[in-house]
Amino acid sequence: MPTLPSLTGPSSIGEKVVQTVLVVDDEPTARSALAARLKRLGYRVIEAVDGKSGLEALRRERPDLTILDWMMPEIDGPSFCEQVRQDPELLTSQILMMTSHDQPAQIAEGLARGADDFLSKAASKYEITARVQAGMRAASLIRRLEDVTEEIRRKQEILKRELQSAARYVESLLPSPGTLLPGVQMAHAYRPSLGLGGDLFNIVPWGDRVLGLYLLDASGHGVSAALRSASLATFLRRENLLRHVGSTDPGAILTEANKQFPLTEDGNYFTIIFAKIDSRTRTLSYATAGHNGAFLQRSSGEFCWMTQPNLPLGFDGSTIYATTDVMITSGDRLYLLSDGLYEAPNSNGELWGQNRLEETIHRFGIHSLAEVVSGAIAEAIRWQGHEQFPDDVALMGVEVMDTDV
Amino acid sequence: MQTKERPVPNGVVLELSGDLTYANREQFKTAVEAIRQKGCRHLILNMAEVRFVDSSGLGLLALVSQNFKLSQGQVSMLKPQSYVREIMSLANIQKLIPVYDNELDALAGHQRAA
Repeated sequence: MPTLPSLTGPSSIGEKVVQTVLVVDDEPTARSALAARLKRLGYRVIEAVDGKSGLEALRRERPDLTILDWMMPEIDGPSFCEQVRQDPELLTSQILMMTSHDQPAQIAEGLARGADDFLSKAASKYEITARVQAGMRAASLIRRLEDVTEEIRRKQEILKRELQSAARYVESLLPSPGTLLPGVQMAHAYRPSLGLGGDLFNIVPWGDRVLGLYLLDASGHGVSAALRSASLATFLRRENLLRHVGSTDPGAILTEANKQFPLTEDGNYFTIIFAKIDSRTRTLSYATAGHNGAFLQRSSGEFCWMTQPNLPLGFDGSTIYATTDVMITSGDRLYLLSDGLYEAPNSNGELWGQNRLEETIHRFGIHSLAEVVSGAIAEAIRWQGHEQFPDDVALMGVEVMDTDV
Repeated sequence: MQTKERPVPNGVVLELSGDLTYANREQFKTAVEAIRQKGCRHLILNMAEVRFVDSSGLGLLALVSQNFKLSQGQVSMLKPQSYVREIMSLANIQKLIPVYDNELDALAGHQRAA
């Protein structure tokens, strides 16, 4: 005959888990009588002769239930309870306190000082059995709760490590700062809100003197936003764009991306700015889709926000995104950023704002690009009063310098 | 966020109050989807009592507008507050969802379009 698989799991078949009771009483006759009765009921019994050795046994054996005499020298029952409740290791122990004079006021005091239940020394064997069983029920519920909590903590730890590994992957997609083209420098900062973010930026090498660059912001946060960002970033790779769009024109690229990335069923989408710097013609071309975080700081100090009111990607498949061309000169700096930077709130909920960002960058003047980028992030952190941004933050700065040596 | 629907000739006005954000997305979607499945062709979102719309809220508005379009319907918006109006116009939402300052204009606008 084939062996049937166990339905209840291997641990509970055939072997009943024996529960343990700790009896703490300085009076030997009463202690052995109770211990004998509990053994007859099928429990494993540990005996302790006073409060001090009782606490040691509790710590060592972690019994399911402790039955405690009130009157004991040195550490009495209520003091025993108080010590247990103050100890993080022991505080969930189930304690049944025994007393010979069960006045309501005394019972109240015992419960207030940490006992879970009371048992009169004059109680019948039926009552003792019933109270011990009730204590055991509570003990096993608490134990299950502790096991489940531990399991959740363990799983969260695994999830956290997986998120960290995914976050490292996303960061590995980011471009290295430094010289992108002769005369074009880049610096950046990336501060995702949950370790794993929905903001991404990158460069697209179009040629010796021509460079594409973009910054995108996926709506929402966390894993799903990061996956969507990585998928759009894959679409925006050089070879793919040349094959599927056949153009380096920012508007043409966004028009095609808009068709490829419709709204998700939860209404998630991207905002993006895509730019092209041509260092031969000194032209900056760009197109935006619902993205307001981009500005040009002229070498004269003048600020030009590259804001165009238009739909984010996926809102309407028939949208045509237009390219804007502007001339750039040596010393001009282009900043692409996500709204998480200027929408950092302070403790009163007031947003840092585009004006304060502009002032900050102004104040840094001719400092190096890397110093301006890290300085702007530091200033936003100072405004909100803590390191952790509530939304993903990305900032990329690009400077065009004279190459006519 | 609270929602209350009120039938009007050839449509439904959904009165919204509170914030239209990530935290309230299910509530908003459920209310709107119930109206769409009843066969409503013109949904008018009254935004007068909406203080804030975040990026998730913006996506939901676009999604609702697309879903109504799929069932030959239309979504209009009534009286957004200035902050919400600014967010809408930066994302050019009025291209998908016409914005009106009173209900009669919204109803007339839909009839013209139909």
